[in-house]
Amino acid sequence: MALRAAVLRHIRLPVQTLPAIGTRPQSQRSFLRLFSSHDDHLTKEEVIDRVLDVIKSFPKVDPSKVTPDVHFQKDLGLDSLDNVEIVMALEEEFKLEIPDKEADKIDSCNLAIVYIYNHPMAG
Amino acid sequence: MAFTLRSVKVPPNSASLEEARGRVFDFFRKACRSIPTIMDIYNLDDIVTKSELRSIIASEIRKNTHVTNPKVIDLLLFKGMEELNNIVEHAKQRHHIIGQYVLGRQGLAQDTKDEGTSDFLKNFYKSNYF
Repeated sequence: MALRAAVLRHIRLPVQTLPAIGTRPQSQRSFLRLFSSHDDHLTKEEVIDRVLDVIKSFPKVDPSKVTPDVHFQKDLGLDSLDNVEIVMALEEEFKLEIPDKEADKIDSCNLAIVYIYNHPMAG
Repeated sequence: MAFTLRSVKVPPNSASLEEARGRVFDFFRKACRSIPTIMDIYNLDDIVTKSELRSIIASEIRKNTHVTNPKVIDLLLFKGMEELNNIVEHAKQRHHIIGQYVLGRQGLAQDTKDEGTSDFLKNFYKSNYF
């Protein structure tokens, strides 16, 4: 019993009084968390960069011709199946699922960038 | 179960080429969306990438671009759908997928079996008359 008390006396931690909260404004702010997800939208530059990367890495595309406003079929010489394939590659890159009606309209780099930028779930 | 899920709609009966083309794109999108499942089932992560598989599916579809009859296109789509269902419900095996879809594309270096042989032998293996 005495041994136990002696051991406990050794491992008992000294009590510390915390400083008053009003004197440390930094810690005050760190406890304040904003639970909204409105701040994690992709920036337009990031969207443009990633879209151009996806298009450049498409095997049938000449990377030097890719600019932010190329038309897939007119400028890059692809056909409609390639168009669908590029849209699917963009779906994979941004973890989206684009409905068929919208996907049919995405014909050029411009439209793709605008659509992805305005999509709330782009990640 | 997966087969019935995919083919529960009325079998395709396209009236025009445009409708058939729409169905082709729908089939392509369905196939692309099931690529992650396929890579997971058959452990293809070391063999191909998703974009390569997409290109492979696109080239398979492109083999039939010369077809103009909507009913023939419907039949080809039906067979394609059946193949996709078989693959997704694990009725095939890994070597089927690798042999049928991954290897042999444009004579890539993946076909290493006949790499060192001479032209004579290659022609000989192909046919009797060369």
